[in-house]
Amino acid sequence: MGEIAKFFRIRPVSTPIVAVTGGKGGTGKTTVAVNLAVALEMYGKRVMLVDLDVDCPNDAVLFRKRLENGEEVTFFKPKINTEKCIKCGKCAEVCLENALIYVKDQFPVFFEELCSGCAACKLICPVDAIEEDHKVLGKVYVSEVNGIKLVSGELKPTEARSPLVAFKTKQKTYEVAEKESFDVILVDTAPGVHNPVVRALQGTDFALAVTEPTPLGAHDLGRILDLTKTLGVSTSIVLNRADIKGGFKEIIYNICKKYNVKIVSEIPFDEKLIEAYVRGVPVVKLFPNSPSAKAIFKLAEYISERLK
Amino acid sequence: MSLSSRPKEIVVASGKGGVGKTTVTASLSVFLAKNGHKIVAVDADVDAPNLSITLGGGKRRESREIKISHKAALNPEKCVECGKCVETCRYGAIFQPGRDKVPFIIDILCEGCGACTLVCPAEAIKIEDRRTGELIIEDTKYGFPLVTGRLELGEHNSGHLVTSIKKIGHVEAENVGADLLIVDGAPGIGCPVIASISGASYVIAVTEPTPAAKRDLERLISVIKHFNVPAGIVINKAGISESYRKELKNWIINKLKMPILGEIPVDYEVLRALTHMTPIIECNPSSKAAKAILEISTRVVEKIG
Repeated sequence: MGEIAKFFRIRPVSTPIVAVTGGKGGTGKTTVAVNLAVALEMYGKRVMLVDLDVDCPNDAVLFRKRLENGEEVTFFKPKINTEKCIKCGKCAEVCLENALIYVKDQFPVFFEELCSGCAACKLICPVDAIEEDHKVLGKVYVSEVNGIKLVSGELKPTEARSPLVAFKTKQKTYEVAEKESFDVILVDTAPGVHNPVVRALQGTDFALAVTEPTPLGAHDLGRILDLTKTLGVSTSIVLNRADIKGGFKEIIYNICKKYNVKIVSEIPFDEKLIEAYVRGVPVVKLFPNSPSAKAIFKLAEYISERLK
Repeated sequence: MSLSSRPKEIVVASGKGGVGKTTVTASLSVFLAKNGHKIVAVDADVDAPNLSITLGGGKRRESREIKISHKAALNPEKCVECGKCVETCRYGAIFQPGRDKVPFIIDILCEGCGACTLVCPAEAIKIEDRRTGELIIEDTKYGFPLVTGRLELGEHNSGHLVTSIKKIGHVEAENVGADLLIVDGAPGIGCPVIASISGASYVIAVTEPTPAAKRDLERLISVIKHFNVPAGIVINKAGISESYRKELKNWIINKLKMPILGEIPVDYEVLRALTHMTPIIECNPSSKAAKAILEISTRVVEKIG
């Protein structure tokens, strides 16, 4: 476990990276990530915001920004050269996803949607009959909004392999960070605890887990805290809609006690935040004096302090 | 079992997380069970399975391990430190701390494809079977069984796990003579969602009147249309923005050309029901939200015939 943490932290750039995650969907990850990015920019930081919820990337939507000129995210797929193929069937044998099917004395048949792009088939082929081809899994967009560099990964609808799009978007992030200097990289993750979230958490210094005061928020927070513990990513809690009517804060306090993690921000339920969200302007810009914006500015101060 | 007698699958999906999938699924399931349908509920949000909590926690009848994942395991004693595995891994899951050092496989990033085993000159890497997750069957207090999947932390085989638990859902349906599977889907549009939608008879797409939820609904519908599954839309938290709600409705009808099954108003009783771990139609049947969900449920029954 300790060893995983050691290697999991490795990254090619020295810029500090902070992840915004949370387990449950709809707790406010994107809202926190976007507003935190803007608040930090207002405090004079050079910020890169990375949307790694590649299934449903909405950071740009919250800025009312239309993303254009995306670069294709591609991954290996085999192309069988039938002039070279000797119909031995070895490629199908090593394909764990059953994307290559072999019937005796026939050329192997390829099912693209099953292919995971590992290239084992290419490695095993004794006659080099499998050539390097690629399939498009999604897009990655690099843009500038409100003085913030925004990198967004987007899975192509009907494609299944979100982890690979998250992986490639992360690589793009490092590329951009190598060329320009940033004070901080903020990463917005997908909900859940599955592999795309792991990809987003890789190489981060610490994470904020955004949750809400409900039994579902608590349950899923427990799951993400189990995951970040395994990965050795230090995690603090942001309790969103902290005072919402019908909510139940104690349940979150109990989880925090159990996992020995701290709540570093309580964002109150705020109609102004919803209005800003719908209008596509970050609340810290549109209503800087609203209760939710004030809480986010305080969180930005905490982050700045922690990055020192 | 002939194909025609195979229970129908109703899948609740959303794209965006936290718009109310589980709230709708829980109440719809209870409604159907109370109105003469034999159902099996399936929680296909294997990442963050919450249906059991929403239904008040059932009596666990069975749990089993699902072991369909693979990971590469390296034997440092056999390793010749050549680094070929590192170059071969397209998933960046193998690190070599330095030249002539034994590489380290970050288990959680490994896809188990076996490419590294093919290039290793020393047969130092083997592929091992690993746990993908857990499957739990419980009997809910509302008289129907619930099949839940729990994905191992960080796993990437969530789609395979969803397919497995749906299969078990069908076995369970056969056992209890159920004609309907009610599936609570995962957020997003990726692997687990595609696995949920494939084979479904009907999809209920839940959204809310915000630009982010609208964008995610658009993504979800393009996947649903690709798989050619009939679907209807539920607008939850309808009053959260009155102006945007109108815009969203127009867009759904005119651009998306999808039927709207109903709208659920903003109602704090929904949150209260959640904290009481009771579906809203049971917790407070006279609440605005419960009434709306009842209407929607009736419409869903008409749709699936």
